[in-house]
Amino acid sequence: MEDRDSVPARILIIDDEASILDGCRQSLEKSGHTVITTSEGPEGIRLAREKRPELAFVDLKMPSCSGMDIIELLSRDLPDIVLIVITGYASIVSAVEAMKKGAYDYLPKPFTPDQIRAVTKRGLEHRSLKIEADRLREEKERMEKNFITFVSHEMRSPLVTIQQYIETLKVIASDCFTDESKEIIDRCEKRLQNLHELVEHWLDLARIENGTFSEAKVPLSLSSIIERSIEELTPLCLKRELTLEAHLKNSLPKIMGDQESLLRVFTNIIGNATKYTPAGGKICVDTEYDDFYIYASITDTGTGIPQDKIPFIFEPFFRVKGKDERQKGSGLGLTFVKKIMDAHDGKIEVCSQVGVGTTFTLKFPRLYEL
Amino acid sequence: MESKKKVLLIDDDKDFLMATKLILEKGGYEVFLAEDGKSGVEMSKSVSPDIAIIDMMMETWSEGFNVVSKLRTSDSGKQIPLIMLSAVDLQGPYQSFEPPDDLPSVDLVLHKPIKADELLNHLGRLLRM
Repeated sequence: MEDRDSVPARILIIDDEASILDGCRQSLEKSGHTVITTSEGPEGIRLAREKRPELAFVDLKMPSCSGMDIIELLSRDLPDIVLIVITGYASIVSAVEAMKKGAYDYLPKPFTPDQIRAVTKRGLEHRSLKIEADRLREEKERMEKNFITFVSHEMRSPLVTIQQYIETLKVIASDCFTDESKEIIDRCEKRLQNLHELVEHWLDLARIENGTFSEAKVPLSLSSIIERSIEELTPLCLKRELTLEAHLKNSLPKIMGDQESLLRVFTNIIGNATKYTPAGGKICVDTEYDDFYIYASITDTGTGIPQDKIPFIFEPFFRVKGKDERQKGSGLGLTFVKKIMDAHDGKIEVCSQVGVGTTFTLKFPRLYEL
Repeated sequence: MESKKKVLLIDDDKDFLMATKLILEKGGYEVFLAEDGKSGVEMSKSVSPDIAIIDMMMETWSEGFNVVSKLRTSDSGKQIPLIMLSAVDLQGPYQSFEPPDDLPSVDLVLHKPIKADELLNHLGRLLRM
């Protein structure tokens, strides 16, 4: 059977039996491949390094050296090479071992010309698929990086400039505005702020996903992070007539974490609570620990989340629709929180009752310093 | 009548310059605009501003630092307060950036967009000192 599908390749054959070398050479040259042969292991390694064949057949049992060692060495040295072991029926077990060490396939002796051509074809196809997959992965990573840079420059800067213009307009022309116009400008400003928030959250997520998000984890205490988040959100709670308080345990054991991203975990969850808690309500942050974990819980007296919606709240752009349609966020906040918790080997649990309130519990592995 | 204080504003975003200029003029300042670092440094020599506001990211993302270090070593810029503007947090694509040891010092860093009253309060405070 002529094999017209295989693209011509360089193929190395290492086997101590002259008849095998000859047979393989004839079968493969017929398919248009360039064949290099040797009966010596060390010479085979030298040829592989020098000629860079796409594929190599290696006999497992040779008197001069172990085929297994050659497989191990070549698969480490030349990651793109496809290695196929030639083995007697009796040594299937060692063929399996060779595949564990990096061989792609095996060819049991005795074999026909068609069999060696079929194994070669499959090996070469595997190689080109692998190379293509690697190329695509690199391309994807590069595009993701470029896209993040693009978004941060090309989306953020016009947005910031428009916000600045509105700010200026309020300063230089507020005397000329009717109450109606002022209301419109306020609404524009709020929508822009939401858009800005969306861009920021989206960037955060994209950075986590492609690994550029800074994860400088250090031993730290959750107490200081909770205190900072409370400080940040107290003005908002005052404005919305909510009580915000924290009951922090003294000497809370430390965790390993990234300060800034954890701060945003807390501001996100508390920020959410302010959106869904009616005026007069209360938001409370508590901490607890045991021998293995540190727990932080954020409880509100808000509208609550229906049970059937809880599984979806960490999905991007999922929102629990309330009566109050003003409660708009980016729709990415909790997705971000979940990713950050995952990156800290943490867990997040939600417990909620409609009309009573919601509790988010964050669970972090406790750090034991030696 | 007391003469107006001079503010030099350096940013490569024309719209941002325009918006901020109007706020500053409303605040009673005389405003000079430069659209890139080089002309900003030259302008500081000709107008001798009382304070300068420099965007961090211009032609290159750290151009603002170059401008600040040039101003700090010039006669006109040595003594005046400098404000750096930034629209990015350094955790983004620039996280690999390591500030040089001799990073020039600024008196204040503000994040865009800037609130008008905040900007004017800071300017008043920095110019009184």
